[in-house]
Amino acid sequence: MSVIANNITKIFGSGHTEVKAVENVSLTVQPGEIFLIMGPSGSGKTTLITILGGLLSPTSGSVVINGENITKLKESKLPVFRLNNIGFIFQSFNLLSALTATENVTVPLIAKGIPKKKALGQVKEMLERLGLEQRLNNKPADLSGGEKQRVAIARALITKPGVILADEPTANLDSKNGHEVMLKLCAISCEENKSVIIVSHDSRIKNIAHKVLWVEDGKLIKEEEGSHKKICPHENLV
Amino acid sequence: MIFIALKNLFQEKTRFFISIGGVAFSVLLIFILQGLYQGWSNRMGEYIRNLPADLWVGQEGSRDMFHSVSILAEKDKEKIEDIDGVAQVASFSGRQMKLHVNGKEAPTFIVGYDPNEGIGGPLRVIEGKSTPSNGEIIIDRVFAENKNIKIGDTLPVATENFKVVGISEGGNLVLYQYSFVTKEDAERLFKLQGVINYFLVKLAGGTNKDRVVADIKSVVSGSEIFTKEEFVENNTEFINETFLPIILVLVLIGLAVGIAVIGLTIFTSTIEKSREYGVLKAIGVKNNQLYLIVFEQALIAGIIGYFIGVILAFTLSVIVGRLVPEFITLFRIIDLVWIFSASILMSVVAAYIPIRRIAKINPAEVFKA
Repeated sequence: MSVIANNITKIFGSGHTEVKAVENVSLTVQPGEIFLIMGPSGSGKTTLITILGGLLSPTSGSVVINGENITKLKESKLPVFRLNNIGFIFQSFNLLSALTATENVTVPLIAKGIPKKKALGQVKEMLERLGLEQRLNNKPADLSGGEKQRVAIARALITKPGVILADEPTANLDSKNGHEVMLKLCAISCEENKSVIIVSHDSRIKNIAHKVLWVEDGKLIKEEEGSHKKICPHENLV
Repeated sequence: MIFIALKNLFQEKTRFFISIGGVAFSVLLIFILQGLYQGWSNRMGEYIRNLPADLWVGQEGSRDMFHSVSILAEKDKEKIEDIDGVAQVASFSGRQMKLHVNGKEAPTFIVGYDPNEGIGGPLRVIEGKSTPSNGEIIIDRVFAENKNIKIGDTLPVATENFKVVGISEGGNLVLYQYSFVTKEDAERLFKLQGVINYFLVKLAGGTNKDRVVADIKSVVSGSEIFTKEEFVENNTEFINETFLPIILVLVLIGLAVGIAVIGLTIFTSTIEKSREYGVLKAIGVKNNQLYLIVFEQALIAGIIGYFIGVILAFTLSVIVGRLVPEFITLFRIIDLVWIFSASILMSVVAAYIPIRRIAKINPAEVFKA
């Protein structure tokens, strides 16, 4: 599933208070590719990923995912589109505190209308793939940061979306956990041919990315190759 | 999505207990008030409802036994007896009187009846003689218990003394109770000679009631005839007029308390979980599904609170009913149904504001750390 952004511009406010958070950004992510968007705080990275995820409308430009121009989709159709096509991974994990790891991952499937009993089988398998077979019934409060992020990745992947959008996925993890979590994400994405866009300050993620885009003041200022090829062929990562 | 609602609800146990406690209190209040209203209303009409009289003949313009005076000539009894289809006629006189028992005022409604006629006396005698003789009185169990009166005691009524010979049931009017004396004693006490208050008419089987009513009206001038149902209604009407508006206000207060408590607890929970709802929105959970989570939380609290409230109301009515004889409750199936509906309504209304709050959550906000 490809992600194509065409000349995206996002302006907040107007007149004296006008801020161009994103300016004329274009990118194309092919299935199986991992893009890393880097840049200083306030450079517009998060705004860009929010637009790519259909959570914010651009002031101009378009986002086409799998041939569907999501900037033209009706507000009421966007949640279903996101549910079926995009998996989100957040900086602070954003798991539901009252639910166990299994239940957290079950939520998107239930939202799709899959019966809970049927969903649980898929969820268990996914959590096992991510090495969480011992933590199925633990609530977020009882999980380590790395485990939480792996649950969040499982939640993002469980509906088999073509696109994964990750916002600072390693920011709250130590380097070892951050590395492990990214390897898991990288391996599953490659294996399942997903388009992955990661926003991060963490330069180590370059290792798993095909391409690294540099954003500053809302503009795409540099594009370079990542080191993906060096690590992704590693078999049995998952 | 019900599992999310349940998990959210049980996650914060204190808030959950406050929520169901609020509903339970509200249901308890509404249920007890409704039970008291029904209980009093039923009790007020119980005696008339259970007397074997199909028609009550009173003076024109009279409506009930407590707020209007009905005076009829006793000689008219024979005229009614002669009407085709009338099986039996009994005279009935009654008046509220204040007795003085153990130095305190003790109001009672003294009924004078002819024991030989068999209509108009106590409904059920549970102790002592079933019919009084002259100089004797049968009192209600509640009156006996409240005033600590026993069989064999002497009761001063006006300037006379009456011996308590029986204890009856079914004559509790909540504020006071029926006591029964002979017709002769009543005439002397009430200073009614040759007049009575009402005729109680029992009809023969298959008799056309309307025709008999018309016949009585034609032979007893200035009379007004009530069916049993009408007379029950007339005698309980003041309960409706007096208590219903008060009960309505209190029921509304109860509903408001329930709505406020569920609403506030669910609202605070929604505020606390705004980010989580934002996450759910971001991953593609539809607004309707999120509203359902909140609604289910309110509904679960409402339903659990309802059942606890009902159990408390039944328990309270049994315990208090034993201690306070005036605490008469009657719980009907229909009351269970409408109060359950009210609980659901509370949940629906209480969910409204949290749902509005969720509608405003911007899923893009969850990307902020």
